[in-house]
Amino acid sequence: MNENEKRKYIKGRKLGEGTYANVYLGQLRTDPAVLVAIKKMKVQREQDGIAYDAVRELKFLQELHHPNIVELLSVFNSKDQNLNLVLEYLPLGDLESLIRDTDRVRYGAADIKAWMGMLTRAVWFCHDNFVLHRDIKPNNLLIAADGEVKLADFGLARSFADPGVNMTHMVITRWYRPPELLFGCRSYSGAVDVWSVGLVFAELIIRTPFLPGNSEVDQINRICQAIGTPTEDNWPGVSSLRSYAVPAEVYPVPDKKAWMDRFGGVGAEGVDLLCKTLVLDPNKRITAREMLEHRWWRTDPKPTRKEDLPRSKDDGAKKMGADLGRRPGAVEDENRGSKVARRLDFGAK
Amino acid sequence: MSRKAAMGGARQPVGGATTTTTTTSTISTEDMCPVCKTIRYLNKDMEFLINPECYHSMCSNCVNRLFNDGPNQCPYAGCNKTLRRKGFRSAFFGDLGVEREVDIRRRVAAVFNQGEDDFETTTDYNNYLQMVEDLTFDLVFGTDRKRQEAEATLQRWEAEHTAQIEQNRRQGREADEMARRRLRAEKDAARLRRIEAVREAEEEKRERALTREAELDSIAQAPEGQGSSRVQLKRRGLAAAAGVNSAAPVATAAATDVGKLSIRGLKEKKKAVVHEGPYDPFGGLDFTPSRYRLGPDLKHQRIEDLRATMRYNPGGFRFEDWTAQLMFEAFAGLGVFVEDEKEVGIGLEAGRVASIGAGIAAVGDRMELD
Repeated sequence: MNENEKRKYIKGRKLGEGTYANVYLGQLRTDPAVLVAIKKMKVQREQDGIAYDAVRELKFLQELHHPNIVELLSVFNSKDQNLNLVLEYLPLGDLESLIRDTDRVRYGAADIKAWMGMLTRAVWFCHDNFVLHRDIKPNNLLIAADGEVKLADFGLARSFADPGVNMTHMVITRWYRPPELLFGCRSYSGAVDVWSVGLVFAELIIRTPFLPGNSEVDQINRICQAIGTPTEDNWPGVSSLRSYAVPAEVYPVPDKKAWMDRFGGVGAEGVDLLCKTLVLDPNKRITAREMLEHRWWRTDPKPTRKEDLPRSKDDGAKKMGADLGRRPGAVEDENRGSKVARRLDFGAK
Repeated sequence: MSRKAAMGGARQPVGGATTTTTTTSTISTEDMCPVCKTIRYLNKDMEFLINPECYHSMCSNCVNRLFNDGPNQCPYAGCNKTLRRKGFRSAFFGDLGVEREVDIRRRVAAVFNQGEDDFETTTDYNNYLQMVEDLTFDLVFGTDRKRQEAEATLQRWEAEHTAQIEQNRRQGREADEMARRRLRAEKDAARLRRIEAVREAEEEKRERALTREAELDSIAQAPEGQGSSRVQLKRRGLAAAAGVNSAAPVATAAATDVGKLSIRGLKEKKKAVVHEGPYDPFGGLDFTPSRYRLGPDLKHQRIEDLRATMRYNPGGFRFEDWTAQLMFEAFAGLGVFVEDEKEVGIGLEAGRVASIGAGIAAVGDRMELD
């Protein structure tokens, strides 16, 4: 059966190489017009057997089928006992390249609404099927040939925990990590993904990462400055969290006007939705379902049709290769040293 | 001889009428009205008309004479059709049998106007075409009984599918209009290209003349002795420049052609009809459980116990999610029948079946989502 699956695809050129996986272009043997991406996991020396990430990715991608979630077509292992995931080919790069390319790519509120709609639908679909993605960032939002945004990289995903079961707090790329995880909380919910979605939303508007912290302490500082210092008043019980530590200077939660000044491009309703996703207290944060019920989707401008969305001018295939080959949870702009130092604590599950 | 045979064909009873008349005279039917026996020699402007009721031809004078005062019987012996003045027209084909067949085909085509796109498979389409052809044949050459049957079928179909026929007709008209427009655009583009090419050629010629003149002037004004060597140098330079100049327009022309190239006869891709309703943030999915309803407060001893131990919940753990998951998992297997799945799984590998199963388990009875 493995041989059959393997023979179904022809492996083509290498699209990208990461610390975590190599990505190849592939095509169907029976119909060479159908392109796929083959993600070949690298052998992990320090772990026995298959890496956690690969198992997680496999487990959840196999079950989640949604237009906004990358489709896992097949799995096989190659001669050197490496796991190969056959994913749908997404040739138009990722959302990050669109955000960064401020010179050549222009987009407006309607486009942001369309992208956010697709992203929020994907997250809502995960949450309603009891899966936490835990690594939402523009890098992981790939764009299909028809403009559809697809949530990829389920290497850090897990299903909802039972009460009292500890989950690791060392998930989500730092810039998109919510305060409860930064404070070492081990019992959380889909609200962590919603925070990431909110930061992607903000990044789409201002076209630069909203809270690019250099370290976890810096990340907390930035959150305090931009969104307010978490205190017992605005977040009951926060001081009981394991590594609760905030800067001495207490910043107030900014009012609507401050938000409007910075993110007014998406209109008052859009800013309202953004504020609700970036609420400090996860208990008060909006859920993915509530996000989709928000008035913003129904107000003008209407989201752009996916075929008409702006497209990246770069080589999307290479981008996809780089995105899929990256280790989950890592910030890409950092130098190599910090990357090596940052190890995810998968043991404490 | 062959002429005679053709004439005979034209005079043959058509339209199922039982008249039989044979021409014995040498004057052809094209020159003599079979009703009033007027010959073209006497009436230069004689025009023959037919009525699609029976396809008996007669001259326009006869038509006026017989039918101006209202409907009347066909003057041909034995033809009992009642004809009206309004129905008469001149025939397009000399052979009235062909005229009749074309009329019938036109009528059938207007009713059976499905296109290949309306069918699931090519075989279906071919079968349909065969059916239509059989029906047409019955109408044209069939016996009386066959003809009546075919006529009935045609009318029934027309009555039953009025709306669809009308829609197809409209689509056909639109397609015709599009094709015409495309052709016109192509022609315009070609004309523009030609004009542009002519203009460019002229310009080039003028430019060449200008440079040549300047060249001669400069040589004439050049000091003694240098002129001849410059003539040669310039000549070489000119040739190179001309080469560059001539290459450039070709390249640009090719570039513009790439954008404009269109191949006639290419099947035009049908654009999906976009019904743009109001934006649905949920993308048409609904996860409200169909087998149970989640109340605001699920009461269970264990849930209460856990809730009590987790009084402090700063991390935002949601009990609702947990209970929803418990309920979902409790109901997940219902409505899944292993026997049916096995049937579905015939011909699939075990892995695919497993993933189908997982998909079903994950989404319950909302199978249509992927």
